[in-house]
Amino acid sequence: MTEAAAQTLDAATDEPPLPKRSALTDMLGELADLWRVTLDTLFYTFNHKREKGAVITQCYAIGNRSLFFMVVTMGFIGAIVVYQIGIQTARIIPDMSLVGATYVKLLIRDLAASVGAMPLATRVGAGIAAEIGSMVVTEQTDALRMSAADPVDYLVVPRFLASVLMGTSILLIGGAVAYFAGMLICNLSFDVNPYVYMNFSMVTSGDCILGFIKCLVYGGTIALVSSQRGLRTFGGSEGVGRATTEAVVGSLFAIITLNLIMSTIGNFLLPA
Amino acid sequence: MTITFRNIHKAFGPKKVLQGVSFTVRDGECFFIVGASGVGKSVLIKHLVGLLRPDDGDIFLDDTEVSRLTEREFYEVRKKCAMVFQSSTLFDSMTCEQNVALPLRKHMGLTMKDALTEARERLSQVHMSHFATAYPAEIGDGMRKRVAIARALTLKPSYVLFDEPTTSLDPVSARRTDVMIRELCDQFGVTSIVVSHDLVSIFGIADRIAMLYQGNVRLLGTREDFKNTDDPVVRQFMSGEAEGPMQV
Ligand SMILES: Nc1ncnc2c1ncn2[C@@H]1O[C@H](COP(=O)(O)OP(=O)(O)OP(=O)(O)O)[C@@H](O)[C@H]1O
Ligand SMILES: [Mg+2]
Repeated sequence: MTEAAAQTLDAATDEPPLPKRSALTDMLGELADLWRVTLDTLFYTFNHKREKGAVITQCYAIGNRSLFFMVVTMGFIGAIVVYQIGIQTARIIPDMSLVGATYVKLLIRDLAASVGAMPLATRVGAGIAAEIGSMVVTEQTDALRMSAADPVDYLVVPRFLASVLMGTSILLIGGAVAYFAGMLICNLSFDVNPYVYMNFSMVTSGDCILGFIKCLVYGGTIALVSSQRGLRTFGGSEGVGRATTEAVVGSLFAIITLNLIMSTIGNFLLPA
Repeated sequence: MTITFRNIHKAFGPKKVLQGVSFTVRDGECFFIVGASGVGKSVLIKHLVGLLRPDDGDIFLDDTEVSRLTEREFYEVRKKCAMVFQSSTLFDSMTCEQNVALPLRKHMGLTMKDALTEARERLSQVHMSHFATAYPAEIGDGMRKRVAIARALTLKPSYVLFDEPTTSLDPVSARRTDVMIRELCDQFGVTSIVVSHDLVSIFGIADRIAMLYQGNVRLLGTREDFKNTDDPVVRQFMSGEAEGPMQV
């Protein structure tokens, strides 16, 4: 080692250690940022004129991206769940007449929204984070700010509205597909007549309200979490990749947490 | 009517990028900032228009301290201080003319129709009127840069920040851009801060030059000062030699 190199090495070891950032502060920072994006989004949603066609374009993008995928996924999930319910029921009471009635209540109150929101999050969330993230790394969001346009107003709000609208519609469609897939399996595997299966006597208006609220909330949450991740992108295409992954993970985590909260509150306010 | 950076510090997490940068840009001057890649040139100029906030230090624009303004208060600053970004940054979803029209609509509140008429005129000034209705993806990098310059100049700003305006331009377009920047200063009294590695531009049009090195200003002076300096780091940078004292 030359003397100069040794000196540089000495100097390097003399430097104070880098301050450690704890995972907790990082997470709190992220949450605070998410909260800010949420507030700004809600503010602009109610207070601003939108670019003509922006929401429609996003609705189309989201619908196009996820409808087919959701129909297939929810069809399979519906079939699997009903098959399992059927098998377990047969062990206890060999009476299949209430499988449809129980399943539809479960579906409306929770499964259609909460289970459906997961594939939706992977599809829609990843798309939103990648789009916004690549605009951030190519400085397009900075250019927007230079033009007096807030990126939240310009990029997040149309995606938020479209995700609430289309997300809810797609979750409802997915729920319906899961229901009919269940009907098919019930008929083929357990010989349950479709008329017997289509029993809505257990469904209350509370179930419908809670299920619908969940759809709206998940649609909005996916857009907000993914947009926030996208807006925080840094570091070229690698950064976009990271933001996309984090958007999906964050959305799934948010959906599960919100499901716990909404189901708990729902059990008090809209009891099953 | 000057721009002053005073003791600017900026770190990203543990990474210290700017460590006490201070200098003043005079009125109507064509001021160049040079330095190695990743030294923080883009980061530095973004502070002036509030795209980044300093951890410490003050920035004065027209004798007002701007670094602690709110985002909304910065809109006024951004009206008179435009920026041409390093990567052109046109909006993919808009045509060239819509891109140029955006600041007119947002800052000046023009209607879409008026803004587009105005935008086409600005595009013809940079010889891009043929491509007014093209999308950024359909034109070349150098053309995008010209549209980006047109967009930055739409509001007739008194200050313009150029982040590597001649990178990715062919030599002829690059020299035309130099001439345009010089004209902005000489004829319209615009104060320009130009980030550049392009030695031809630097020695062609710069009034004064600041070189950033390891988070600080290494040398600030005229073209002559840079040509005659004894500082080995600056000399290595100017001559572009691979071997030397400069650390990355
Ligand atoms: N948002 C950010 N988060 C973390 N680090 C950042 C961020 N923005 C910039 N940096 C880091 O700051 C340093 C300076 O970046 P900057 O873009 O200013 O370099 P530059 O001098 O303009 O280089 P170039 O000539 O390549 O454009 C780089 O090391 C970069 O990685
Ligand atoms: Mg740069």
